[in-house]
Amino acid sequence: MEITTLQRGSITVIAIAGSIDGMTATTLVTSFREQVAGGNVRIVSDFAAVEYTSSAGLRALLETVKETRQQGGDLRLAAVQPDVLRVLELSGFTHILKLFPDVEAAVASFPA
Amino acid sequence: MKREIGLDARPENLKVIRDFIEDACREAGVPASEAKDIKLAVDEACCNVVEHGYAGSPGTGPVGVAFEADGKTIAVTVSDRGRSFDPSQAPGPDVGAGWRDRRIGGLGWHLIRQLVDDVRYESGAAGNRLTLVKRRPPVPEKTERG
Repeated sequence: MEITTLQRGSITVIAIAGSIDGMTATTLVTSFREQVAGGNVRIVSDFAAVEYTSSAGLRALLETVKETRQQGGDLRLAAVQPDVLRVLELSGFTHILKLFPDVEAAVASFPA
Repeated sequence: MKREIGLDARPENLKVIRDFIEDACREAGVPASEAKDIKLAVDEACCNVVEHGYAGSPGTGPVGVAFEADGKTIAVTVSDRGRSFDPSQAPGPDVGAGWRDRRIGGLGWHLIRQLVDDVRYESGAAGNRLTLVKRRPPVPEKTERG
């Protein structure tokens, strides 16, 4: 799994590529926590290149959604692929997380 | 057909186990959508062994995965020699809860229950055995046109 982070105005875009499992989720959690600790609580996570996630990835997302929303921000997902979407749906996460077709739409969804 | 693999219960071996399941499913002619379900369920079961099975001495015990497929079912047994944990005792997450009330744990067993048709667990002197069973849809009989 690879993580690339870039800033788009006040929005932090974290692009993930590869598989999120019990091994790689640790890196993802660290990456999210670093952003939140640095005050970046308006986050878009680009899932276009995420081919697989287990519940380890869901735990990372849930923790980050809670942390960011409690600080007035949010974690929003972009370009979730069908296999990952199914895992989100089975877990009820599509009711919790805001999903967008692409990074542009997710970034634009935050109030200016 | 039957295939088996035995590894140390370490996080880096989760991918090895997923690849093993993918290969076994392909060999057994399991359709891609079912193979993905089995792969995720097995990954969750093995991740539990890695994270909790040998708590206090992580990575020091084995995890075994046995894949068995016939015309009617696919059964994958995950075995370990760590702490026993009966999945029927695992609390389920409230999937309808809002973000404030959602607990961070319990998702792995919830997914396993969604992804396979039967979950069997036994624990004894020889260790723990968790068997995940997925029923295969019946193959439609070919009918002659005319």
